[in-house]
Amino acid sequence: MEERNASRANISMSDMIIDQVIPYITDPRDRASVSLVCRSWYDLDALTRKHVTIALCYTVTPARLWRRFKQLESLNLKGKPRASMFNLIPEDWGGYATPWVEEIATSFAGLKFLHFRRMIVTDSDLEVLAKSRGKDLLVLKLDKSLKSLVLEESTIIEKDGEWLHEIALNNTVLEALNFYMTDLSKIRVEDLELIARRCSSLVSVKISDFDILDLMGFFRAAGSLEEFGGGSFNVQPEKYSAVRFPPKLCRLGLTYMGKNEMPIVFPFAAVLRKLDLLYALLDTEDHCLLIQRCPNLEVLETRNVIGDRGLEVLARCCKTLRRLRIERGADEQGMEDEEGVVSQRGLIAVAQGCLELEYVAVYVSDITNASLECFGTHLKNLCDFRLVLLDREERITDLPLDNGVRALLRGCHRLRRFALYLRPGGLTDTGLGYVGQYSQNIRWMLLGYVGGSDAGLLEFSKGCPNLQKLEMRGCCFSEYALAVATSRLKSLRYLWVQGYRASENGHDLLAMVRPFWNIELIPSRRVVVADPLGEAVYHEHPAHILAYYSLAGRRKDFPDTVKPLDPVSFLTS
Amino acid sequence: MSRVAVELDFFPVQKVTSSDGAPPRKIFDRRRSFRDIQSVISKIDPEVLKNVFASGSIDRSLIGKSSVSVPSTPKAKGYQNALPPLPVYTPTFRPTSSSEGSNETTSPLTIFYNGTVSVFDVSPLAGENILKLANDGGFKAVQPADSKPGEIVETFNGDLPLFRRKSLQRFLQKRKERLTLLSSPYGGSTDSASFGQNTPAL
Repeated sequence: MEERNASRANISMSDMIIDQVIPYITDPRDRASVSLVCRSWYDLDALTRKHVTIALCYTVTPARLWRRFKQLESLNLKGKPRASMFNLIPEDWGGYATPWVEEIATSFAGLKFLHFRRMIVTDSDLEVLAKSRGKDLLVLKLDKSLKSLVLEESTIIEKDGEWLHEIALNNTVLEALNFYMTDLSKIRVEDLELIARRCSSLVSVKISDFDILDLMGFFRAAGSLEEFGGGSFNVQPEKYSAVRFPPKLCRLGLTYMGKNEMPIVFPFAAVLRKLDLLYALLDTEDHCLLIQRCPNLEVLETRNVIGDRGLEVLARCCKTLRRLRIERGADEQGMEDEEGVVSQRGLIAVAQGCLELEYVAVYVSDITNASLECFGTHLKNLCDFRLVLLDREERITDLPLDNGVRALLRGCHRLRRFALYLRPGGLTDTGLGYVGQYSQNIRWMLLGYVGGSDAGLLEFSKGCPNLQKLEMRGCCFSEYALAVATSRLKSLRYLWVQGYRASENGHDLLAMVRPFWNIELIPSRRVVVADPLGEAVYHEHPAHILAYYSLAGRRKDFPDTVKPLDPVSFLTS
Repeated sequence: MSRVAVELDFFPVQKVTSSDGAPPRKIFDRRRSFRDIQSVISKIDPEVLKNVFASGSIDRSLIGKSSVSVPSTPKAKGYQNALPPLPVYTPTFRPTSSSEGSNETTSPLTIFYNGTVSVFDVSPLAGENILKLANDGGFKAVQPADSKPGEIVETFNGDLPLFRRKSLQRFLQKRKERLTLLSSPYGGSTDSASFGQNTPAL
């Protein structure tokens, strides 16, 4: 009897302890482990889980999410494969926000943060979010409590600007609003101003093209604003000297800002922590002039027009830099600065000068093993590394990159995300084996034009113990090798491949079939696009394989361009 | 219009050297060639293939046996007879004189493949495309004047060009438009020009 009482007391002690501890456990992998210990811990995690990221919206149904995590406050939903950001995926592939919005509106009372990435969002979806939840309720708590709405890079089917007007009228707690780089054009500036006036916690706003002069009222009203992105410069530069930015602004990205408008940033350049020059109109010299005024820069995003010289200035001046992204500028002659190429020279400077770097993504025109070794030697905090070798130069100084890649992977032991996009001969089968061998912690990888044969892939798949998501493009691997590699990569739950050696009718993919694993094919398509001259250009898009674990079974909204792999069809004609 | 018989030989003598620099194999490797053919054919849009087959009068009862190697999974057991590569048609030639008053101007296309022979009636464009496909793995694509050689994608032979991020693509396009407008006689006016579609009426 005493024994039983004692053990009952023990149970309630540990319950009390775990109740106190669990709010501090936020990492999703830790949470997953906690939920597997016993039933009561599973229930406790379910009740207290605040944030969920669903990396692919078809892996689970909205209803299932609701059954598991009723108290969710923050949801990050992703739809189309990442390749859709590069125009590789059919527009109607899927990723509809509607079923999720319906569930959110009816069930998730506590949801405050909502992030749709690469999904298809309609105006009415946004209205549902902004308006009352149902005719039985007086007021929708959701719109009043919506703190963050991020629509960046999603396809928005826009009817009018009413949804923003609804938010402007009903919300006072909005902290972040983001429809950067969307085509939303029916929004009214007055609604932005209204939101700025009513939401005293408005910290981050990133919008589509509005002239900066038209936003002066908005800037005056947004006293708490720390981050702004978007806008546009359409009149003479002198007119912008009257613009006053909010006092706390320290993260900035101004679209179409040229060298003559750049000085409006100078007064507060020294407090800038983040600078987005991806959509600015600056040349290499302009970059040098601006960057040297920003000693506190932590995040820089720009195009390769920054050049090796700009990177050297960056390395000299910005010792606290944590994130660096260098995108690919225009290819045509005369559209970008001639100095605007990045090579091993710039990489070495940055590796030696910016020791706090955690994220580096860069398009280079030339590369050496030594520069990658430099990364491995100096950048011990690097978590995310992405390198794309541009295809304009025929001759690259130092290929293959086997040894450099190995040195980088061994030196940067914190790496969790890794992308290497090269060209034939860029990385041998041996080098690909190194990638497998030295990627203990890597969870996501994009590999382009690596390896030389199936042997490389098979060697690679012996390693990568934590690889959850793998994307491959332009590699020479056969379907069968892909199937075998998939079965070996024990953590893999998402695979995307474009460019592979197909078997007749895809029958070699049968080796990949297993329970809960959805396999979809996007057969090769011929896509007509209008080139800059308005002429029709035919792009032949090679086939894709997309495979992922799902608890939701096969999706029911396939467009014509996407075909599920049906093993049964191989048995019948 | 007289018909021209088009022949596709899927078993050329190997000319290609392997990537590790080994000397070219002089002996014809039927298995490798078979895979190459399969990979070429599997790249053809199934709808196109269906149409190609349907346009010729094919005796579907004469189906050749498949000799494809099958992965040893239980599910694949029934595979052997499930997917014939191509139907067989006999006779192996067609008379060139008759035209049947058709307006389609099709010609017979004879394919020798894995011990089977097939003849289809294809239009000149389809025939050209199939030839091009077999020869260099690509459809004939429209080449605008200012394109780089690698810009138009042909079927996969390790030739996927780098695509640009959508947001950047749009920005670079808009930038070009702005420059064009600015350099025109009517550009650079004192009032705000409507470069962005979102400039509200003031």
